Amino acid sequence: MTTLNRRTILQGAAATGALIAAPSLVRAQAPAIKVGILQPVTGALAQDGEYGRLGAEIALNEINAAGGIKSMGGARLQMVFGDARSNPEGGTAEVERMQAEGVAAIVGGFASPIVLAASQAASRYDIPYICDVGVSDQIVGRGLKNTFRFGPGFGNVTSTALENLVKLNDAAGKPAKTVVIVHEDGLFGSGMAKLLQTQLPPRGFEILETIAHPTPSRDMSNVALRIRALNPDLVIPSSYYAEFVLLARTMQQQRIRPKGVYAILNGAASNFRFVKEFSDAANLVMDCNHWADPRKPKTAQVKALAEQGGRFWLYNTPLNYSCVRLLADALEKAGSADRAKLTEAITNSTFADHIMPYGPTKFVNGQNQGAAPVNTQVQNGDIKVIFPTEFADAKAVFPAV
Amino acid sequence: MTSAPYAWIAAIVAALALLPLGTSSNTVLNFLSFAMIVTVAAQGWNILGGYGGQFSFGHAVFFGTGAYVMALAQVRFGLNPWLALPLAMAMGAAVGYAIGFLSFRARLRGSYFALVTLAFAEVFRISANAWGFTGGAAGVLVPLKLDAAQMQFADKRLFYWLALAFVAAALVLTAWIARSRFGAQLVAVRENEEAARALGVDALAIKLRAITLSGAVTAAAGCLYTQKFLYLDANLAYGPWISVEALLAPIIGGLGTVFGPLVGAVVLLGLGEVTKTVFANLMGGSVPGVDLVVFGALLIACVAYAPRGVLGLLQGWLASARKARA
Repeated sequence: MTTLNRRTILQGAAATGALIAAPSLVRAQAPAIKVGILQPVTGALAQDGEYGRLGAEIALNEINAAGGIKSMGGARLQMVFGDARSNPEGGTAEVERMQAEGVAAIVGGFASPIVLAASQAASRYDIPYICDVGVSDQIVGRGLKNTFRFGPGFGNVTSTALENLVKLNDAAGKPAKTVVIVHEDGLFGSGMAKLLQTQLPPRGFEILETIAHPTPSRDMSNVALRIRALNPDLVIPSSYYAEFVLLARTMQQQRIRPKGVYAILNGAASNFRFVKEFSDAANLVMDCNHWADPRKPKTAQVKALAEQGGRFWLYNTPLNYSCVRLLADALEKAGSADRAKLTEAITNSTFADHIMPYGPTKFVNGQNQGAAPVNTQVQNGDIKVIFPTEFADAKAVFPAV
Repeated sequence: MTSAPYAWIAAIVAALALLPLGTSSNTVLNFLSFAMIVTVAAQGWNILGGYGGQFSFGHAVFFGTGAYVMALAQVRFGLNPWLALPLAMAMGAAVGYAIGFLSFRARLRGSYFALVTLAFAEVFRISANAWGFTGGAAGVLVPLKLDAAQMQFADKRLFYWLALAFVAAALVLTAWIARSRFGAQLVAVRENEEAARALGVDALAIKLRAITLSGAVTAAAGCLYTQKFLYLDANLAYGPWISVEALLAPIIGGLGTVFGPLVGAVVLLGLGEVTKTVFANLMGGSVPGVDLVVFGALLIACVAYAPRGVLGLLQGWLASARKARA
C-alpha cells in the first residue's frame, strides 16, 4: 500500500499545476497583429466600401485559417475596421483611431481624395499604407515613403484604354470616327475628360462634345437626348455606378444605339449588379478597369466566397483581397510588425500569389510597376475579358450595331 | 452671464485648454480640433445669422475661400502659412462684403437671402471644380512639412491650442459685438428692420459690416481646416456640409448668444462620436452610420423641444429651479 507522503503530494501538485498551465501555454502564442482596414461604408461610396471590406475579410480569414503569420509564431491578423464615411475627414479620423489601437499597417481607402488624406495622416506615424483602388497619380507622386499602390494609376489605365480602343477599332475596319464623352465633374471624371480631349484627336477620333454631369445626378435624359442629337459612333462614359446605370437605361429606353459604349474606369460597366439587374441596357458595354485574373485558380475560390449571400463580384473585392495578402506576405518576410521593417518589406516585395493579372509586385516610388487594367465587355449576362489577348476569354463584339 | 462675459470666456477657454492634458489619445485630440474648427465657422455664422437675423445657407462660400486662399498661397506662391492666414481672412471678408453688397442692396431678406447665399456657394464650388488654378476637381494638396513655422505641428495638442485660440478670439469678438453699439443696431435690424431704420440706423451699412466680419471669421475656420487636413477639393471647401454645420451648431447651441456656437458644435459632434463608441461596444463591432441616425433623431428632438437651443434650455431650467426655491 502506498502511503500518501509529502513527495507524492508535491508530484501530484506539480502535475496538476502543469495541466492547468498547459492550455495557457498553448494560448500564449504570438499576440495578434492588428491590421487597419479603411473603407467608406456610409455615404455616397458605401457600395464600393462594402465590397472592399468583403475582400479584406476573405483574405484575413484565409490567412488566419492557414495558421497566421508563420515567421511570427503563427500570429493571427486582427481587423481594425474604419468607416471613412465617403470623405477625407472621415478617413483621417479613422487613421488616428487606428494609430491609437496600434495597427501595423492600413489597407484601403477606395476613393482618391480619401486615400490622399488618409495616407498623409498615416505617414505622420510611419504606418505603411497600401492603397486599394484610388487611381489619382498624386497618391504615389508625393514622395511619402509609407504609401504604396498595388493597382494601376490613372495614367497607366488611360493609356492602355486608348491603345486597346485603337486596336479594337482598327480590327473592325475603323467603324468609329466620332465620339461623345460623358463624365462626372469630380476628380476622376474631369481628369479623364481632359486627357481624352488631348489624346483622342491624334488617334483619328473626332470629339463631337464633352458633357459633364454632377454626382449624384438623378436624371440623365438631357444627356441621352443630346447624345441622340449628336449621333456619335462611340460614347465614352466616365461616371460612378448610379449615374452610368441611369444613362445606360435612358439610352436603352430612347433606343439610342451607338456603335459602341467604351467606358474607362467606370463604376458600373464591369459590375455584375448592373449586368444582372439591367441585362439589356448593359449588354455589349465595354470597360477598361481593374479586373481579377480569370486564369488563376484562386480567383474562382474568392469569387465563390464573395458571392455567398447574394452579393456581387466587383473589382473592389479581389483588389482588397490581394492587398491584404500582399501585406501578410510582407509581415511574413519582415518577421515583425515593426512599421519601419514592414515598410521595407513591402518596398522590396515580390509577391505573386495575388489574384490580379499583374505578376510579382515590384514597387518603385510606391507604385506597383506590373499593375495593369483589363478590358471587359458585357456579353449575354456575363462579363468577359476582351484584352489583353493573353487571357481574353471572348472576342470583342464591335461594332455593336 | 451679462455682467462679466469676458470672465466666463476666460474660464471656459482655460477649461478647454486643459482638456488635452488629461488625454494623450490622438482620436480625442482629432475630435477636439475638428470641433474647434466647426465652432469657429459657426461663430462666423452666428454674427450674421444669430445677431443680425440674416440666415445664410451658404457659409461654405467664406469657409472655402479661406481654405483655398490658404492652400493656394502656399502651393502656388510659396507664401508662409502664417502670412497666408491674414490674407485668407481678408479675402473671406472681401467675398462677404461683395455678396452682402449685391444681396442687401437688392433688399433680399429671409428665405430670399438664404437662397442667394446657397446659390453663391454653389457657383463658387462649381468654379473651383472647373478652374485649373484651384487644381480643378483634383484639388490642392499642401505638402506635409511638420514644422511650427509651416503651421503644421508634430504634437497634435499644439494644433488644438491654435484652433482654441481662434475660438477664444471669436468669443471675445462676439462678446464685444453683443455689448457694443454696433451689436445693438444689429439686433435692432434683426428684430424689425423698418423700425430700426426709422430710428436712424443705417441698416445696409450695419448688415454689410456684419457679413464682412462673418466672412472673415468663417474664412479663418477654412484656414485651420486646410492646415489640419492638408488636402482640399471643391466639395470639401465649398460643399454644403460646412454650410449646414455652421448653421446647425448655433441653432442647437443657442442663436444669437456668445457661447451658442461652441456648445452646439461640441454637443453635435460629440454626440456622434459617443453614439458610435457606445454602439460599437454594445454590438461588439462598429455599426456604420448609427451615429448619423442618432444624430438626426436628436436634432429633431432638439429643434422640436428646445427651440432656443441647449443654452436656452439650461437657462429655462435654472430659472424654474430658482422659482421653485423662491
